[in-house]
Amino acid sequence: MSNVREQSHPSNGDLTSPAEGDLKPYVVFTQLNRGDPHMYAGCVDAADQQMALQFAREHYGQDQKCVNIWVVPKEAVTATNYDTDLIWRHTDQTYRLARGYSKPVKDKWRKLRRAEDLKEYEKDDLKETF
Amino acid sequence: MSGSANVGVHVDHARDEDPAKMAEFEAKINAGELLEPDDWMPQAYRQGMLKMAEHHANSEIIGALPEGEWITRAPSLRRKLALTAKVQDEVGHGQMLYRVSQDLGKSRDQMLRDLITGRTKYHNVFNYPAPTWGDIAMIQWLIDGAAIMNQKTLADGAYGPYVRTMKRINMEEAFHFKSGEDMVLTLMSGTKMQRQMGQEAFDRWWYPALMFFGPPDKPHAEQLPPMRWRMKTVTNDNLRRRFINRFAPAAIDLGLKIHVVKKDDNGMVIERKPDENLRLDETTGNWSFTQPDWDEFYRVIRGNGPCNAKRLALRRFSYEQGRWVRHAILRGNAGLPPAA
Amino acid sequence: MITLPDNLKRPFADLLLAVADDKLMLGHRNSDWTGLAPILEEDIAFSSLAQDEMAHAQALYQLIAGLIGTSADALAFGRKSEAFRCAAIVEAPDEFDWATAICRQFFCDHFDRLRLRRLARSSDKPVADLANRLAAEEQIHVEHVDSWMQRLGRGTDESRQRMQKALDRLAAIAPSLFEPIEHEHELVAADVYPRAETDMFETWRNELEQIANDSSLKLDLHPPSPQTIGGRRGKHTEHLPPLLDEMCEVYRLEPNAAW
Ligand SMILES: [Fe+2]
Ligand SMILES: [Fe+2]
Repeated sequence: MSNVREQSHPSNGDLTSPAEGDLKPYVVFTQLNRGDPHMYAGCVDAADQQMALQFAREHYGQDQKCVNIWVVPKEAVTATNYDTDLIWRHTDQTYRLARGYSKPVKDKWRKLRRAEDLKEYEKDDLKETF
Repeated sequence: MSGSANVGVHVDHARDEDPAKMAEFEAKINAGELLEPDDWMPQAYRQGMLKMAEHHANSEIIGALPEGEWITRAPSLRRKLALTAKVQDEVGHGQMLYRVSQDLGKSRDQMLRDLITGRTKYHNVFNYPAPTWGDIAMIQWLIDGAAIMNQKTLADGAYGPYVRTMKRINMEEAFHFKSGEDMVLTLMSGTKMQRQMGQEAFDRWWYPALMFFGPPDKPHAEQLPPMRWRMKTVTNDNLRRRFINRFAPAAIDLGLKIHVVKKDDNGMVIERKPDENLRLDETTGNWSFTQPDWDEFYRVIRGNGPCNAKRLALRRFSYEQGRWVRHAILRGNAGLPPAA
Repeated sequence: MITLPDNLKRPFADLLLAVADDKLMLGHRNSDWTGLAPILEEDIAFSSLAQDEMAHAQALYQLIAGLIGTSADALAFGRKSEAFRCAAIVEAPDEFDWATAICRQFFCDHFDRLRLRRLARSSDKPVADLANRLAAEEQIHVEHVDSWMQRLGRGTDESRQRMQKALDRLAAIAPSLFEPIEHEHELVAADVYPRAETDMFETWRNELEQIANDSSLKLDLHPPSPQTIGGRRGKHTEHLPPLLDEMCEVYRLEPNAAW
């Protein structure tokens, strides 16, 4: 091993470096393919945005193929509170969702149309919204 | 690698907490929900999580040292690259776990200072020496293997930021473990000298690996706060049993002999004999084995292991040596010049 | 693809060895920092750069191995000191002084970017293709190291002094990178190592001086002096043999074994 790792260094006594605190935290978002959404990856501590970007590229951009990175000062993120900030309403919301209509609409169609015609017609529905 | 199983987080029963909030908190935990930093949680939980994440972070960056010694000596270009990347990952794990701890209220600088002045601890397993290349193979197979088993269960915990970090870390651990397997397999199917190197390293690391999961559990461990609050999810003894059931038969098939050993103060084996208790119990499917020397475990934890002083000293050297760099970018005029 | 005339094979291998050996030694030195750098994030970043250097060396050794009939690992671990073609600056240890590590990387990355761009125009297609890919990665290194020069040169009085000291010390041996290999002019004439579009030393000096200026640092570079050269012909500094002893310690235990 290299000399410095092998040499013995002092392991106790007072530190010569004063406590200095931390750099600023930046939140890192990575994009794995062009066109994909950027996803939260983690944080780096850095002095400024360029440094944060430089660190993020090597820390979060190398464990899988990555094409783009955003860094945002952590303090710039404002979030809701789980307990006090209601986001999704308590009342029945099915009136504003496609799945709120799937059964009644199907039942109504069935009275008017043959099953195979209905099936053909339903092919163009956006299935993933039900 | 690493894990915090043997951190021995001592969490006090939280008597002065609001019972209604406490009930709500425990209900959330029992429902399998993840807690986020802004959620209400008992003071003892917050402190316990900080202690656990900090200990884990410390372990990652100290864990980078024994293997770091071998980067400059790795015997092929591929191994040199892989070992550098592996040690780099451990530093990354440390960085992410310090972040979890920072968000719980302690600065990274303070955590590093507490570590190198002995105020906080790191995982015991890194106080053992890695005198040959065979040790690098065994560390990555046994210790990273143990770390994965442990960290998989920690990823089922309740504290969101820690759980998410575990998941990310485990992806990288998978590479460490596979490359460890590859090295162990190469050694044990190599020349006589290589197989001997493998066996001797195995003798040094088998018991530290068994101790990795921490001492035998206290009675009713499941009801004590660390498990009741899903800071950890499986007992030390259960993890150890799973480890032995997986690794003992694999070691035997590799041609390794499992020995009970006696070591000198430098962690080198001075006496070894086959573990006579080692056998598979056909009815339970479990392997029985000779327990580690728990006195040794506590001796090492108290700072008297073969490498405690050396590990701390090198980490301290790095901190002191880097002071002027951190000072320049924290306090100095270290921005980039305006773009031309 | 034109096949290389026999008389150019050895010089061409030497030229590529110079590139690969520089990178291996630099990567080897820098990888030793993994786990010990001044900031955890930079520890990770600097280690990635070190891995790049070693991976570049590996890719080049593979090409050379094909050319002269051996293996990449045998080239990296199985040669005696005098068979290496690296320059004095990459042999220099840094004793874990961050200023030295950064300045060494500064001189080498700028040089390598120029050298690889030149090789990317080689009449030898496989080498040109590889050099082209490596030059793109070298660009990342140059940006990274330049920003550290600027930040630490401009940081505090102490950081500027430390950087200036390291820069001065290394500036004396950095031009050793420009020592030609034997028969280099024949490779140039055959367009295997095409002539640089502008004088390479001048370009390098200008690039470095520009960054040094932005960094409140002074830099004075002169063409290589006879005392600092020799590496490209196998005459090395006293730092190379111990480096090789360390690097090859395990390999030499059983050179024919798989590790
Ligand atoms: Fe690991
Ligand atoms: Fe790890």
